[in-house]
Amino acid sequence: MRLEVGKFFVKDMAFGEKTEFRNGILTICREKAIDIVKEDSHVTEADLHIVRPGDEVRMVPVKEAIEMRYKVSGGVTYPGMTNPIAPAGSGRVHALKGCSLIVVGKHWGCFQDGLIDMSGRYQRYTIYGLMKNLVLVADTDEEFERREQQKKNGALRRAGHRLAEYIGKCLCDLEPEDIETWELEPINRRDPAVQALPSVVYVLLPQTQMEAMGYNTLVYGWDGNHMLPTLLHPNELLDGALVSGSFMPVSSKISSYEHCNNPTVKTINFLGVILSNLNVAMEQKQRSAFMAAQMAKNLGADGAIVAEEGYGNPDVDYIQTIVELEKARIKTVGISNECTGRDGRSQPLVALDSVADALVSTGNVSQYYELPPMKAVIGDLESLSRDGISGGWEGCVRSDGSLVMENNGMFCSDHVSGFSMKTCMEY
Amino acid sequence: MLKSVHYINQFFGQVGGEEMADFEPVLYEGALGCTGIFNSLAGNVEVISTIVCGDNFFASRKEEALERILSMLENVSFDFFVAGPAFNAGRYGIACGEVCRAVQERFAVPAVTSMNEENPGVQLFSKDVYIMRGGKRATFMKQDMEKLVSFSEKIALKQPVLPAVMEGYFPRGVRHEVFLEDLGMKPVMASDRAFEMLLAKLRGGVYQTELPMPALDRVPIAPAVKSLRDVRLALVTSGGIVPRNNPDRIQSCSATKWGKYDISSLASGLPAPEYKTIHAGYDPGEADRNPNVVVPLDAVRRYQSEDRLGEVDEFFYTTVGTGTTQGEAARMGREIAALLHERNIGAVLLTAT
Repeated sequence: MRLEVGKFFVKDMAFGEKTEFRNGILTICREKAIDIVKEDSHVTEADLHIVRPGDEVRMVPVKEAIEMRYKVSGGVTYPGMTNPIAPAGSGRVHALKGCSLIVVGKHWGCFQDGLIDMSGRYQRYTIYGLMKNLVLVADTDEEFERREQQKKNGALRRAGHRLAEYIGKCLCDLEPEDIETWELEPINRRDPAVQALPSVVYVLLPQTQMEAMGYNTLVYGWDGNHMLPTLLHPNELLDGALVSGSFMPVSSKISSYEHCNNPTVKTINFLGVILSNLNVAMEQKQRSAFMAAQMAKNLGADGAIVAEEGYGNPDVDYIQTIVELEKARIKTVGISNECTGRDGRSQPLVALDSVADALVSTGNVSQYYELPPMKAVIGDLESLSRDGISGGWEGCVRSDGSLVMENNGMFCSDHVSGFSMKTCMEY
Repeated sequence: MLKSVHYINQFFGQVGGEEMADFEPVLYEGALGCTGIFNSLAGNVEVISTIVCGDNFFASRKEEALERILSMLENVSFDFFVAGPAFNAGRYGIACGEVCRAVQERFAVPAVTSMNEENPGVQLFSKDVYIMRGGKRATFMKQDMEKLVSFSEKIALKQPVLPAVMEGYFPRGVRHEVFLEDLGMKPVMASDRAFEMLLAKLRGGVYQTELPMPALDRVPIAPAVKSLRDVRLALVTSGGIVPRNNPDRIQSCSATKWGKYDISSLASGLPAPEYKTIHAGYDPGEADRNPNVVVPLDAVRRYQSEDRLGEVDEFFYTTVGTGTTQGEAARMGREIAALLHERNIGAVLLTAT
């Protein structure tokens, strides 16, 4: 399978007459872009902003980050989400690099939403603070969930994906500055030199624990709660087969942007991605762990990297998957965040097993942050204290715009996909 | 110059060896014995008083020794407390740990000591007191004292403390997130760290996990209740069921609060919508429609009416389990358990979600 990712490096963004990319400048026709967003009549209000690293801007409640890209070889972008289902992983995609599209709620936040600072001490806590962002801030008429702590954020997530594709489309006829080629032969057809290398799988456990539909990670548009572990070619991931859900405290989130730029996938030499899931009942957790390990074993894996999107209850799935892989004599490394409490004295994971002896830690969800006021806010600062955003609480936002929070509410900051520059250490 | 008091045993206080181990605690003005080494190395802290106590005296009359030492310090003004180094001397190490912990609590000043990893004092006190990694024997006096002095000065001057492995103290069971670059280390992305670790593991090489597995804290299962008719039963839940207005503002995630609510007048179970869940970690639909699916008061009342159950506590006890740290959960559990003891509860129906 061969996928080409044509890269277009964005030096700056601006609003203008026409949506186009020229000499490193991405120009966006605001009216047309908002029309695209409002194709869904559930979107009642929408506006666009451009923010750059260093801007004194705070965004909250941030719902999603998406790469602006377009499948130029035929096929579709983000299949099964806003587009009809189609195969992913082959052909060519053109993508805007050094930037992302951020979706922010105009007022209403929820459990899985978060905060991004574009400057100051907390800018570096999330990769989105370090890139240029086109920001969609919008509201919807989804009354059924307005006062709910758990929101599907359906209209806004879909609007973000439509918009990302619309903007990506301006790259259709352009020649990319750089082309990244991802090619991996079928497992039994590889060069003997490659075959001789240690064989490695990536076991991804995306967040799929909500039993009601509409909140979980989507796999070609299919709710990840309703699947069993399966084998993906890494190119499928890089071509947008996975779309992030709306459920888990946000520092643990793997955004849609990160799914198709997953640095762990790009790093290792692969048998493939075993896409497992996270569940609520013990039997479900065991079933997925057994099946993921069985697949890895029969693919001939010598090693595995397991990543968990979430913390707390899903630590059980995470540790069990590692244990089953090790039982199958597959040397396994885990990537997750941990929850040690503000004082750092709590047990870091809900489930423990001494077999899990090679873990990468990407942050402490309950680390306490103190944020100074920021000149401008996109969204609604009060949502952090009002709407049950995890990491925020009643009274955490002060009248001068400064606030206290836990890492739990910092958008994607533990970057379990592999981008995290944080770890945890003993004091 | 910041002022410190130093605790040492009879040997290092030059009172004598094992034959003088029953020596009663004495507070001396100024430096004495090995304290002189401390003062000669320190630039910002000076030991102004030395406490000397025999190891046997401390070990055999711990409470008395502690009380006498603490009362001696009542009239001393000091910013900082230091003890040892105790090397691998067990009684001395335990005394250093006890005294440091007690002084920290009573006078709210930081305390530091030093021991060898085999000293039983490490296991007993490393969670409460900074203990520097020291040598096995007194031949390490100079090296251990140097480490003790430089870390003591850092603590006394309230400078930021680096992770245990960098400073050389025993981990205190505290884990915080850090950016590697802030510690002067090369910043490496998590995916690259995982890959390096995997390669080392595949090659049979050395690798260091970033999350060492803590010891499992297993709770033994309580003996069975002989007859449910003869005990008082209480209902406890981490499923977030509360009266509709959530009067104690229990958090929906990462809870630090729990509540107790009177159910004595509810003859057939918890009514909806008067009771609901505020738990953000599961789909609330069913629990909001019927709170008894989480706190089964309906079944309990039926069992009572059938005379299969005796008395039921007039309150139920509730918090939220999702995202709640193990530390907070343990604290709330202890608080609820203490109250249940007071209320003479013999059995608990604990429901999770």
